Amino acid sequence: MATTNSAIEVSGLKKNYGHAVALNGLDLRVETGEVAGFLGPNGAGKSTTIRILLGLLKADGGVARMLGRDPWKDAVSLHRDVAYVPGEVNLWPNLTGGQAISILSKLHGSVDTRRQNELLERFELDPTKKARSYSKGNRQKVALVAALSSNAELLLLDEPTSGLDPLMEQVFTSCIREEAAQGRSVLLSSHIFSEVEKLCDTVTIIRDGQTVEAGALAELRHLQRTQISVEIAANAGELSAITGIEDLEVAGTSAKFSVDQDQLPSVLSALATYAPRNLVSAPPSLEELFLRHYSDNSGRPVGVRAGEQS
Amino acid sequence: MSTQTAHGRHALLSTVSVSNKEAGHNGAMTGFSTMIWFILRRNWLRLSIWALVLASMIPIVFDSQQQAFPTQASRDAYAQVANTPAVAAMTGLPYAAGSLGGILVIKIWMTLAVALAFAVTFLITRNGRAEEETGRTELLRSRAIGPHAYSAANYFVSAALCVVTGALISLLCLAVRLPSTGSWVMGASIAGTGLAFIGLAALCGQVASTSRGANTLAVALIGLFYFVRAAADLEAEGMSPSPLSWFSPIGWAQNMRAFGENNLWPLLALLGLGAVGCIFALRLESSRDMGAGMLPERRGPTRATRFTASALGLPSRLQRASLISWFIGVVVSSLFFGSVAQSMSSLLDPSNPFARNFVGGGATMLDGVLGIFFLFNALLACAFAIQSLGTARSEEDSGRLEQQLAGALSRRTWLMTHLIIAVLGSGVMLLLGGYLIGLASQGAGEPGVLAGACLSYWPAVLLMLALQLLTFGYLPRSSTVIVWGVYGLSVLASMFGGLFSLSENVIRATPFGAVPRVPAEDFNWSPLLVLLLISLALGTVGLMRFNRRDVLTD
Repeated sequence: MATTNSAIEVSGLKKNYGHAVALNGLDLRVETGEVAGFLGPNGAGKSTTIRILLGLLKADGGVARMLGRDPWKDAVSLHRDVAYVPGEVNLWPNLTGGQAISILSKLHGSVDTRRQNELLERFELDPTKKARSYSKGNRQKVALVAALSSNAELLLLDEPTSGLDPLMEQVFTSCIREEAAQGRSVLLSSHIFSEVEKLCDTVTIIRDGQTVEAGALAELRHLQRTQISVEIAANAGELSAITGIEDLEVAGTSAKFSVDQDQLPSVLSALATYAPRNLVSAPPSLEELFLRHYSDNSGRPVGVRAGEQS
Repeated sequence: MSTQTAHGRHALLSTVSVSNKEAGHNGAMTGFSTMIWFILRRNWLRLSIWALVLASMIPIVFDSQQQAFPTQASRDAYAQVANTPAVAAMTGLPYAAGSLGGILVIKIWMTLAVALAFAVTFLITRNGRAEEETGRTELLRSRAIGPHAYSAANYFVSAALCVVTGALISLLCLAVRLPSTGSWVMGASIAGTGLAFIGLAALCGQVASTSRGANTLAVALIGLFYFVRAAADLEAEGMSPSPLSWFSPIGWAQNMRAFGENNLWPLLALLGLGAVGCIFALRLESSRDMGAGMLPERRGPTRATRFTASALGLPSRLQRASLISWFIGVVVSSLFFGSVAQSMSSLLDPSNPFARNFVGGGATMLDGVLGIFFLFNALLACAFAIQSLGTARSEEDSGRLEQQLAGALSRRTWLMTHLIIAVLGSGVMLLLGGYLIGLASQGAGEPGVLAGACLSYWPAVLLMLALQLLTFGYLPRSSTVIVWGVYGLSVLASMFGGLFSLSENVIRATPFGAVPRVPAEDFNWSPLLVLLLISLALGTVGLMRFNRRDVLTD
């Protein structure tokens, strides 16, 4: 915990709204220069965490540090080095998008005007239109242009691409890659698995205000089981004798089952003795990993904390 | 709480589709009854409060007037002096001041009629343009609902409020044993005013493209028609108003003359205006796009000016239109007050106790009249200040504050900029109002001196702002309601305290009653210092609390 090179260090964070518990000991860590995915079902506490990091909400317990500083006490100075994009952008209806961008940039302090003009073009945003005539996607672009042209050390993005079309999502992806290439840190809260897969180095999955999975994306894949479909000469029911096979589904001579990553070699060699005629192996997808955490009804923290060694 | 609401909405949407399946037709009004139910479901409390509060004024005011004028002799004496320009301008011609019913009309009719006009205006906008602006109308219109069902149901519910309020007023008049014909005309004329303004508010809701614009337009119309009839009543020959009266729907309703001639035919004109307005509004609705107004959207600047992007510049820019209209309001009303001050005071008989009571017992009638005008100007400046500081809460509620605080802006600086606009704006309005009253009065007083006199109400305005800061800190979600509620009570106490038989001490304990009514009363520093100290304390506590609380978004 004593390391100072972390962009975000959150441990045991608690927040209650009356009797409702929003955060119940949440942990989150983003290293400098890292693009970190922040995932969880609706109502898991992602936005609450980000609002606490921005000093908009006061935590009821735990520790939160951003760029080594206190998000509540040092809010103003901290915000010169942080840019934020909310998932639901509300603008002043009677001001133009361009005016809103200037205002948000001015509030931030420093702004790269060349980058701003370039971003306006890349996102195809007309800054002369009044904000009330903007669609949701266009309002989102206003916040993105203001944040990405700000020279911030750390970007806090709360579902930043909601409402953007696929082309604009690509623009967003390349912009974030450019930011990362310049050594900036990014916390990206998102529901779009492909986006997280493309952009993020690490992922933190939360549920009911607690962290259930955290680690490098590559390592998380290893925790997931491989899905195997197989057709053998004999009755597929015999496969239940092999150790390491889980969730076996049998239909005549065909079977479907899942195997833990570390059991795979032994299961495959055992399987060879049944003379498989056909075998399809599906690698673990992130989507399955996420969905497992999203839909787990037990409510307890699931899985091993991978990547703790960093 | 929120799950309940969501559940209710879900149930409602399924009702919409079910009832349409049953009805099995595709007219412009399909779903009309469901929408009535929907509007009642969302507004029943609001509707009940308007109807009950307005109607309950009848027994309260009747009671106080019965005590003030217990005998026919006292009422006859009052009738001799009742026709003053102040009464004519503010509440209409006192055509039946010799009867209890007529006195009731003088004291409360105009307040009730104008209040009902405001009520329907706000309701029509709330369930019309505001719904469209937020996109909720789109959600409803995507179901099998006729294009006019929601609007027509909105007009219908507001009309029902007018009818129920009018009926309650009539029944309460009958309950205090006023003549029956007059009682029914009393209720009908007030309900008729409301119905006529439904038509106008409906039109405003079609022309403007924002709820704010629709309300501003409709309230401006109420103000315009109020001034037209005030001018007509000031130009009156005896007890018959000038023909100008027929250019204002409020004038039509006045000409029904409850407890006087009891005319029913102007009611037809009121109903006609309401109906024509609604029909025309529905026509406009079918000829325009969902969400659009009649006025085209203009393009704007590519970037904000250095001023707009500054901490103080943004709230000033956001309130620009509102600031301009408030200042126009102050200029127009002050010039009007100033120009009638001399003639009004010369018509008031100083030996008459009622006239003296009205102006608050100054050395001269003119001083008393000026004191009333200053109070009026102060209440106007205070309404501006509350509305102006209220933008702070709406910035927070809409989520726009989050984006500003996510920049390098401290909470204190942000709230202070909003406070500065309210504080300085109200101060300038007080000075300007007093100065213009002096200027237009042609010699009633030195404009500079009158401006200073008006400014003595500043501490009272500051106290209301401090209360707003306090509630903004501790009860942000109900801050606006609480402050407007306290403001409404202060208006009643300081303007009509005598009417409700409030004791002098109680009136002195309210923010505006505490300020010495110069020039009639001697100027005195001590109440102003007390007001300032309380303001400072409440305001500081509120500000400190805001620095420590969560930012609350809707």
